[in-house]
Amino acid sequence: MTTTPAPTLTPPKARRRAVRARSLRPWYRNGSLVAGIVIVGGLILVAVFAPLLTPYSPTTQNLTDVLQGPSAAHWLGTDQFGRDVLTRLIWSTRVDLRIGFMAVLIPFVVGTVLGGLAGYFGGWIDTVVMRLVDIFFAFPFYVMVIALVFVLGAGETSIYLAIAAVSWVSYAKIVRGEILVAKQQDYVMAARLGGFSHLKVLVRHIGPNVLSQAIIYAMSDIVQDIMAIVTLGYLGLGIAPPTAEWGSMIAGGQQFITTQWQQATIPGLAVVVTSLGLSWLGDGLSDLLSPDRRK
Amino acid sequence: MLHRLRFIPGRILQAIPVAIGVTILVFMMSHLLPGNPAVAMLGNHATPAAVAALSKHLGLNQPLWDQYWLFLVHLLHGDLGESITYQQPVFGLVMSAAPVTLSLVLYALVLSLIISVPLAGWAASRPGGVRDLGVRGYTLLGQGMPQFWTGIMLILLLAVRLRLFPVSGYGQTPLDHLYYLFLPALTLAISMCPTIIRSLRASTIQVLGSEYIGTARSKGIGGASLFRVHVLRNAAIPTVSIVGVNLGFLVGGSLIIEQVFAIPGLGSLMINAILSDDFPTIQGVALVVALFVVVVGVLTDIVYTLLDPRVDLANTEAVR
Amino acid sequence: MKKKLRVLIAAGFAAIPLALAGCGAGVASGSAAASSSKPVDGGNLVIDRSNDAVSMNKTTTFDNSSIYVMEQIMEPLFTVSNDGKTIEPWLATGYTVSANKLTYTIKLRSGVKFSNGQPMTSADVKFSIDQNTATGQAGWGYINSAIKQVVAVNPLTVQIDLKYAWAPILADLSLFANAIIPNNYAGETAAAFYQHPIGTGPFEWDVWKKGQYIKLVKNPHYWQPGKPYLNSVQFDVVPDASTRQLQLEGNQADIDTFPDWSTFSALKSTPNITATAFPSTEIDYLTMNEKVAPFSDIHVRQAISDAINRTALVDAVLFGNGKPANSLLMPGVPYYDATGGETYNLAAAKKEMAESSKPHGFTTTLQIASGNADEAAAAQIVQAELKPLGITLNIQQMDPTAQHASLLADTFDMAYAQWTMDIPDPDEWTSFAVNPKGGASSAFTYYDNPAVVSLNSQAEQEIDPTKRAALYDQLQQLTSQDAFLAYLYYVPYAYATTDNVHGFYVTPLGNFHLENVYLTS
Repeated sequence: MTTTPAPTLTPPKARRRAVRARSLRPWYRNGSLVAGIVIVGGLILVAVFAPLLTPYSPTTQNLTDVLQGPSAAHWLGTDQFGRDVLTRLIWSTRVDLRIGFMAVLIPFVVGTVLGGLAGYFGGWIDTVVMRLVDIFFAFPFYVMVIALVFVLGAGETSIYLAIAAVSWVSYAKIVRGEILVAKQQDYVMAARLGGFSHLKVLVRHIGPNVLSQAIIYAMSDIVQDIMAIVTLGYLGLGIAPPTAEWGSMIAGGQQFITTQWQQATIPGLAVVVTSLGLSWLGDGLSDLLSPDRRK
Repeated sequence: MLHRLRFIPGRILQAIPVAIGVTILVFMMSHLLPGNPAVAMLGNHATPAAVAALSKHLGLNQPLWDQYWLFLVHLLHGDLGESITYQQPVFGLVMSAAPVTLSLVLYALVLSLIISVPLAGWAASRPGGVRDLGVRGYTLLGQGMPQFWTGIMLILLLAVRLRLFPVSGYGQTPLDHLYYLFLPALTLAISMCPTIIRSLRASTIQVLGSEYIGTARSKGIGGASLFRVHVLRNAAIPTVSIVGVNLGFLVGGSLIIEQVFAIPGLGSLMINAILSDDFPTIQGVALVVALFVVVVGVLTDIVYTLLDPRVDLANTEAVR
Repeated sequence: MKKKLRVLIAAGFAAIPLALAGCGAGVASGSAAASSSKPVDGGNLVIDRSNDAVSMNKTTTFDNSSIYVMEQIMEPLFTVSNDGKTIEPWLATGYTVSANKLTYTIKLRSGVKFSNGQPMTSADVKFSIDQNTATGQAGWGYINSAIKQVVAVNPLTVQIDLKYAWAPILADLSLFANAIIPNNYAGETAAAFYQHPIGTGPFEWDVWKKGQYIKLVKNPHYWQPGKPYLNSVQFDVVPDASTRQLQLEGNQADIDTFPDWSTFSALKSTPNITATAFPSTEIDYLTMNEKVAPFSDIHVRQAISDAINRTALVDAVLFGNGKPANSLLMPGVPYYDATGGETYNLAAAKKEMAESSKPHGFTTTLQIASGNADEAAAAQIVQAELKPLGITLNIQQMDPTAQHASLLADTFDMAYAQWTMDIPDPDEWTSFAVNPKGGASSAFTYYDNPAVVSLNSQAEQEIDPTKRAALYDQLQQLTSQDAFLAYLYYVPYAYATTDNVHGFYVTPLGNFHLENVYLTS
């Protein structure tokens, strides 16, 4: 079921020109990378310094001041419980960023290992792993995640497990694909002939190239994970209230869409900005680590 | 050419263990869900005695292995079992929900192509230019917007504020369907376009720089005709593969959209089945979706092979 | 129900008396009382609701979306009055009770036909009631557990023999599960019959597009002359509340079932739309598992109950529509006691905590159903209100089925729950709630107060309404003192209708008679 990636045909002259142009540029001239670092860095700072950025608490209720519109005291108004929306927006950064970053770890490790073994050793290992990949791949992502969270109960651990169960597949495919190509390179054959063990070859020769592809994918995977977390929050299956989280903020704000539309809109914009930052960071990293592969 | 299609029988054979694997996975998953259909049906009136009696009444107490075996046997006869909640054949439920999801997905695909192809072409014609930057900016934005949020925003702008489209639902006549499905399809298209545009743009740039295009240009062929006849045909090839892969994601992604827009498709059927622990329905829908993804995968490979004479998919390495 | 037929009652036993006050008015203008305009024939009524029906099998179905539909097709012998306090004849015209209170002789209305033209006789009644009894615990059969046998004395008379004196029997017979269907399922199997049920109701089955809508059409054989006015009724599935509102405003729907409370006052002030909060029998409460310390400590329970500001809850969650819940029973149920009970008193709460086994507070978990905005809101407010007592409440969202499963499996500390009556009699609820041996282990609290249990069983068998009232008064006072459940609020039924809809009224049990509804343009 898995198709090997199509060989990309680029006319030689154009390619060399492009590669030279990009690899000669210092990292700080790379627009995407800089933009990505600025945005993601900014978000991390916001997350870390959240308590200092706003005088309100994200969870203390104030039932006399509910559903206020934007004002000098509350720049984005208050929600159904009188909590300051801007404060909750800021504090959500902590939750969504942290879980987004942590959620890629397990799939990254599991997928890379399995994909690596499948690609390097081939044979029956490859067949078994790829059949597993096909089975999991045939499943709609959200169906699996939702069902697993139902089974495991809502909460942070369940989110990690559910996402892990579903996203390891992409890492496996990428790593396997890279190894298949890398294996055939001269330097690998030379290393094996020179007497290096499988493990050494994997780690020292093939590893770095393959890993860089996996890392680049991981950046876009973080985006996808944040989407999943936010979606789960929207469905009421994410982090428990009253913790502020962008998805549950959107869900909570949806019933007031005609009167206090900013409650459902602004958290979504926060997600967009975060994804933009991460995507640029990913593109920038991709330029740095493998300039000839840039799409 | 037929020689290159010889991978098909092998691919179909490969599909069988995958299908079985999917059924096992789905079966396990649906039986791991907490509670059971009897609890779901009884709701607030659930007491241990009532649950026990209703479970017995519904035949829920057989050992798991027996149930799985029965499920497989029925499956081979084309019988997807009976929904416990509705007391009706799952096949019927799936058959009334599937066309809805399919129309949504195809509609979204058509909209995506209408949006992506021109955008990718403009961007590729002058890489690095203003249009290109704008298009690439859009692709990044599109990937960053959570689908359900995009849906809500579209509802807010086009349905609530401007009253141009209905807020949700499916309508009754086929013409109604086109009208009601526009916003949901657009939402899906907005999240699908970035991937298509990226791929199409990249391959278009490569094709534009290639030698045979230079040759065509020197022959005097230019502009739109050049684009359509020479560039697009070749640039589309890797994109076909990507679209095929994404169709699977689309069907899964439509689940969220169906919730936001209240569309009675496979996604809604699935979510309701999960909520009421109706595992025959969960199994039936998951199986149908998985099979759909598998079939689309094979079809994609066939189209891909037909389009690109250089590709020979039967030749994948046995590794060493 | 506009016309109320007066009942001929044998000497010695009167119908259940009108209850004490405590039932709020809440009737919107232009809906319940006899409309000033003349009924107009024709039209298709479109009712939007968020869930689809599940099944038309009246003996094993528990969800309202199904029940509201089947009630238009199949009718019971008796029905509840508009205020929810009395039983009125419907397919029956009257009854007598034997001196030993064990035999009820019920007279059936003549001239009633099923939608297939067949006349209704006692054979159909016996079959219908027996079929429900046969489902036993797997469905609504348990509600007939006091019935020893049903005898068809003659085509228009049915006799019901009881095993023991049972005050709720008429209320039980008014339950939709005991509605009358043709003998032997009109020659079909039960499963086939319920795919297109046949009854004596104002509407008959037309079509069901799963996930989309159910359509019913006028029953030409309906026994009330001139009714129903409507040609057809359509129940549409529209999960999103904003959509329902927009459909109402755009005249694509006539009735919006359960709009969000946050939009309620806006709906009220929208021209051409009437928003009504019909008094209901719904009570929302917190279950406390007495098998888990510290909930076995009465001081802890009373502290929690005293610390909940119910008025604030009603204002914040229901936007002012609804009432603080003070007692086990609800205003729409006979024998409700409006006085005393659980009230908000933070000072008293702190005092109770100080006297309890955990004076410095403790940490516990409250399970709520996911996807329910009102529940989530109420839970968060309660969470904040319990903080001053030192109680840290963690909120755990679970899918509704998993939450019920957790109650059954006894794997919870506190849980959010609600109850709505299905019959106009307290017994269905009180037996569920206070009897540790009553199948639900006292609403899963394992609360066991022998005095309360005894009061409940006496009240079940006491036919005299005055004596029954006294028993239920005592029961309500004791249970409030024990605070085995923390009552939150009584939630009315929210409905929004266009001004073209006339005659639409919802009883406290939640049912409505669509034969009284007509549309003007």
